[in-house]
Amino acid sequence: MSDHDHDHDDHAPTREDDDLELTEGEARFLALKSLLIEGGVMTADEIRARMEFNERGSPHQAARMIARAWVDPDYKARMLADTKSAAAELGIEATEAALVTIENTPERHNMVVCTLCSCYPRSLLGEPPAFYVSKAYRSRAVREPRKVLREFGVDIPDAVDIAVHDSNADLRYVIMPMRPQGTEGMSEEELAALITRDSVVGCALPVEPS
Amino acid sequence: MSEAEPSYAVGDRVRILDIGKPGHVRTPTYIRHKVGTIERFCGMFENPEDKAYGRWGLPPIPLYRVQLKQDDIWPDYDGAPGDVLEIEIYDHWLAPAGETT
Amino acid sequence: MVDKLTTDIGGDSAGPVPQEDRDQLFWEKQMIAAFNLLQVKGVVVTDEFRRTVEEMPADYYANSTFYGRRLDGMVRLLIEKGVIDADTIEARTREILESGTRDHV
Repeated sequence: MSDHDHDHDDHAPTREDDDLELTEGEARFLALKSLLIEGGVMTADEIRARMEFNERGSPHQAARMIARAWVDPDYKARMLADTKSAAAELGIEATEAALVTIENTPERHNMVVCTLCSCYPRSLLGEPPAFYVSKAYRSRAVREPRKVLREFGVDIPDAVDIAVHDSNADLRYVIMPMRPQGTEGMSEEELAALITRDSVVGCALPVEPS
Repeated sequence: MSEAEPSYAVGDRVRILDIGKPGHVRTPTYIRHKVGTIERFCGMFENPEDKAYGRWGLPPIPLYRVQLKQDDIWPDYDGAPGDVLEIEIYDHWLAPAGETT
Repeated sequence: MVDKLTTDIGGDSAGPVPQEDRDQLFWEKQMIAAFNLLQVKGVVVTDEFRRTVEEMPADYYANSTFYGRRLDGMVRLLIEKGVIDADTIEARTREILESGTRDHV
């Protein structure tokens, strides 16, 4: 039974839901969940544990890896050769079968899309941004990448090639942006703060230091 | 038939086919009939076309990344001549470039 | 000639890429976790789930939302596999909607 007199310090993740009216979608999911639990397919504890596991994936994981790669050429080589193992070195558990890092260079800018659905390295990065799973991005990124990037405020000069990666099968991709100018002497933590979620998909450039 | 092995090497020119297969496939229409280059061999993977219907998808089949020039995919491509697209294609959707089936 | 899958939209014309982001709702996070468990436990296979989404009619796909599709596709698949019953989930959904209750497990 829903009780609206919550202690505001409790259960932060449920806050937004409590204020929203129950939709058909949510009701249908709750119905499904109750049937799966009653049917012994899964338990409430297992769902809770999996939610916590999923929370560990976030763009910050990739940012930490890329920041390390920027300062340590050997780590960068390992990350490019075997991204999963490089993640594990930093205590990050990536569960994807095949994880690949693609490096941006002065000659080539890279971007990732899954035209068929929403393939994305979730265990490393968390859930993809809303734009990534939108039909507009999925249809247009392969056909007019430069135009799409301009919508993101990114203008890649014609002298730099663009490579679009359609993540349609078993590989999952992380884009390694180029280290911005003027970041010499910055700590890994400071560097990681420049690496945004959108830059790891190839739809933004890292933040320039102020 | 012997266990599937990679038929193509990095650098091979290949044509992506339309094999006319209904149901669950992972080769988008926009890339079919186009010619590109094997960029890498990704490994052996279970066939999703079978797994989608409750079958095991075995034996594993070769998967490749194919690189294509955007100008070769879209007649009206409006970008730089060096722009490329890279996509993963299973062995049975490929033929050496120059073959038309 | 084989029809294009509804999900096979690479290269199609479309409007501007939506830039607004929104946080996942609690139930959406829970749903993703439940779906992950179904895969981990071997009850469903990802490829089967993608296939059931593709089998939904074209006009459904065009008008659906990302989380809505995931839910509907998974429900269809579980009914197909006999893990749940179509009438039961429908009735349970109505009950929950009518009562307006939710839990936060």
